[in-house]
Parts: sequence; structure tokens; C-alpha cells
Amino acid sequence: MIPFVFEILSVGLIVSAVLALFLDEVIYAVAALSGTFLFTAIIYALNGSVFAAVFQFAVSVGTLSILFLSGEMLGDKPTKKTSSNRVLALIGGGVVLSLPAIFLSISGGSGANSDVSFGNALWETRGMDVIFQALVILTVAMGIAIVLYRKKKVAT
Amino acid sequence: MDFVILSLVMLAIGIYGLLTNRQLLKVFISVELIATAATLNFVMLATGQGLGQAFLILAFSTDTAVSAVILALLVIVARKYGTSDISKIVQLMQDKSESEVEE
Repeated sequence: MIPFVFEILSVGLIVSAVLALFLDEVIYAVAALSGTFLFTAIIYALNGSVFAAVFQFAVSVGTLSILFLSGEMLGDKPTKKTSSNRVLALIGGGVVLSLPAIFLSISGGSGANSDVSFGNALWETRGMDVIFQALVILTVAMGIAIVLYRKKKVAT
Repeated sequence: MDFVILSLVMLAIGIYGLLTNRQLLKVFISVELIATAATLNFVMLATGQGLGQAFLILAFSTDTAVSAVILALLVIVARKYGTSDISKIVQLMQDKSESEVEE
């Protein structure tokens, strides 16, 4: 593996997060947010959590497409363009903010110690969560369908 | 390299954006950053194990529900007031309530 790859990815993650928040143009901010999601997915994949990486990528593609559309249609247009000096300052600020993650350490190192496989964790340890989630989503979908049906009935 | 500090920094950036930004879309981006920080913690603390990834599914579905609510609010507010700036919306609401009291 390339040396310092996680350090480079974490700098990219923080810089893109800072750009996403502080760029004035909404479209550029959303583009920077896509970088944040991409860097997160790459970090997951390189750490062996491939499912998490794929899931992150899939969810972020949906979020970003909606954000691009709503940013273009509903966002207020900025009165002035972001200067290149400000962009450089934001990048520098992002690099400085990512330094503590590279050079400091507060965690124990090993993290959670359980030898549960992903399948077991999903269907046995968190099985009830997954089923309740599905029930909530089903209830919300049915509620939306009922509200829309009633509105249509009132309109006619 | 410590991913706990990385997610803490992400969380701090998200909270700062949530408190200082006035545009609803930027508020939405801040919420996404906070959610990304939380999921990063889940996954990286359980590297190579299934539990963290299983928690990730729960975190993502909650995040998606929150995103849907914020986007719905954004659409309603932008249609009603013609702007997504929170301070302008508050001003418009105050003007509207004052004019109703005068009538």
C-alpha cells in the first residue's frame, strides 16, 4: 500500500469538508461535499470495510444528486464570486485542522473487540433494529400514500 | 493516525457550520458532515468486524430520514418565501405577523 495514504486521505477529507461549508457558491459547495463522501468511502474500503464503502458511495450519490438539483433551483445566488485567495485560505485552514488527527492519538488502538462477522452482526445482534427500521419505512410510505390519496379525493 | 480525532474534527466543523450558516442548504451540508463524522467513528472503531458496518446501516437510514425532512422543509420554505436564507425568512415572518396585528 502507498505510504501515508490514510494521512493524505484525512487531509483531503477535512479540506473538502471545510470547502463544502465555506464556499459561497452552493454548486461548488456541493461538489466539495462529494469529495468528502468520496474520501470517506475510500477510507472505509482501504480499512477492509468494503460493504460500508459501497453503502456510503450509494447513499452519497443519491444525496448529491438531490443537493445539486435543489441547490440550482432553490439556493440563493451569491452576490460575489469566492476569490482565489479565500479558497487558498480555506484549503490551508483545512490542512491545519487535519494535523491533530495525523499527529495526536487518544484512542486505545484496538477499538471494539468482538469477533462477530458482518452477517451475524446484521441479522442476530442488530436483527431487531433492521426489522423495526423496515416497519418504520413501511409505515411512513403508507402514511404518504394515504395523505396523497385523501388530497386527491378532496381535490376531485 | 487517529480516526477518533478525525471524526471529532469533522463533528466540530459540522457543528460550527450549523451554528453560523444562514442558508438552509448549508445547514443541510452541516448535518451531512455531522452524520459522516458519526458513521466514520462507527466503522473505524470496528475495523474488520461486522458490528460497526451493521451499525452503519442504522446510522445511514436515520441520516437519510433527516435529510428528507430538511429537504422537504427547504422546498416548502423556498416556495412560500422565495428565499432559503433563515434570517430573511424570520424577517418576512415578523413583518407578516405585524401586518396581521395592525389589520
